Amino acid sequence: MPESIIAQMAVSGALMGLVYALIAYGFQLTFATSKSLNFGQGELVMVSAFFSLTLLTLGLPYLLVVPAGLLFGAAVGMAVERTGVRLALEQRSEGWILLTIIIGLFLFSFAENIWGRDDRPFPTPIPSTPFHVFGVDVTPLEISVLVGVLAVMGMIELFKRQTLLGKAVEAVAADRDAAELMGISATRTVVLSYALSGGVAALAGILVSPITTVGPTMASALVLKAFSVAVVAGLESGFGVVVIGLFLGALESLASFYLGSGWREAPGLILLILALAVRPTGVFGKAVIRKV
Amino acid sequence: MLVVKSLHAGYGLSEVLVGTSLEVKAGTVVALIGANGAGKTTTMRAISGLLRPSKGEVILDGTPVQGLEASRIAQMGLAHSPEGRKVFGPLSTEDNLLLGAYRRLPHLVGFHAKAAPDLERVYDLFPRLKERRSQQAGTLSGGEQQMLAIGRALMAQPKVMLLDEPSMGLAPVIVQEVFRTIARLKAEGMTMLLVEQFARAALDVADYAYVMERGRIAIEGTPAELRRDERVVTAYLG
Repeated sequence: MPESIIAQMAVSGALMGLVYALIAYGFQLTFATSKSLNFGQGELVMVSAFFSLTLLTLGLPYLLVVPAGLLFGAAVGMAVERTGVRLALEQRSEGWILLTIIIGLFLFSFAENIWGRDDRPFPTPIPSTPFHVFGVDVTPLEISVLVGVLAVMGMIELFKRQTLLGKAVEAVAADRDAAELMGISATRTVVLSYALSGGVAALAGILVSPITTVGPTMASALVLKAFSVAVVAGLESGFGVVVIGLFLGALESLASFYLGSGWREAPGLILLILALAVRPTGVFGKAVIRKV
Repeated sequence: MLVVKSLHAGYGLSEVLVGTSLEVKAGTVVALIGANGAGKTTTMRAISGLLRPSKGEVILDGTPVQGLEASRIAQMGLAHSPEGRKVFGPLSTEDNLLLGAYRRLPHLVGFHAKAAPDLERVYDLFPRLKERRSQQAGTLSGGEQQMLAIGRALMAQPKVMLLDEPSMGLAPVIVQEVFRTIARLKAEGMTMLLVEQFARAALDVADYAYVMERGRIAIEGTPAELRRDERVVTAYLG
């Protein structure tokens, strides 16, 4: 039996790791274009989840709640860029770090006041009765996480490669000045990347809520691990976050099983410290080839 | 087509340009020569908006553009092939070219078909780029990257093109090729402002030239006049 328990643990953990990967991917999106990221991303995940829950309790069908939640997250992302990031970047200051933390704290208080401090269930039409595949139990809910994460990441990657607007995003990431000389507004591109990042974070909230419940603190641990995943994979690595996310999720689950649940948070932090000490560009960080 | 009037610009508190004025008439090639640090590249950056001028005017096709964002000025028809080429390394050669035409193309679908004639024109000018169309631009040789930088600027179908040090760091045989290309573009009627270390080659292709010293224009005239000017000959052509 132990093998099957290990497998079960690894699979459920890995699926949770996909949520880290998705939030980490959101970090990458803004870091690529602006070398900045939203340190209040966890609160963005949380308010988007609360917003979606509210729509759901108002009777909106789940299939409409998902896009509405994504749009809400994108809008919050744009607001964060406008209020917390743009001015700092224009002045070439690191002020965005503090400002985005402050916006996160503000969103936290906002959520506590509007929705209260209690954790609430997030009812979804997706069933959570497990079925058996390859000797492990998987719930349709977990499958929805897998499908949701890979679908949205796939769509954004396709957008970046196949549309001229997406290539413009890549161009700004590669060389902001040169992109401006092509008539590409770097400012608007950064706004777009914050919108995408916000939408991605909102989706993470919607996908994870039925498993973890919704509450003001729901995302603080999530986002810390997402940050580990982003740094370990490399802040510019694209799909690398999926590999590291799956790995970290499985590792955590096994650590809490064998060492006790208090050890659940340890692997993420250990990986983060290791990565920063040994390979700050990340496991999948690109070595840029330059000829002069 | 392009008029610059007593332009001041710099980095932080140090002013590099102290009243630069020049003019590029439609259909002509104007060379800007001078020693390292005279302010040639700063002039180019201040014209295209990468650097915000503190004083003075830049007039593109009758419209003042000083103080606008570089992307806005590019959309109005100014293409700047910057010093150091600045190709988008991780993107393919063809993507680099397509981005050159960004202001004229649809941004989601159908941009490839619409850009086809311009791509053909650039590939005709630089057959090497066609061979390397799907290669990452960062892995091209220096000469190929320079061709790409010029091709990318051409894709915009600009009213004025700024070429900053197109020969920098290239083998002599490639430099010749670059200058042949500039001559060909001139014959096609392209308006260009050319910054060059190789003053002799620049004067050969230019209709008019300015010599910069310490942030302002020191000498100006036709290439023939400058070649007779003793100061120019000893400092830049000797």
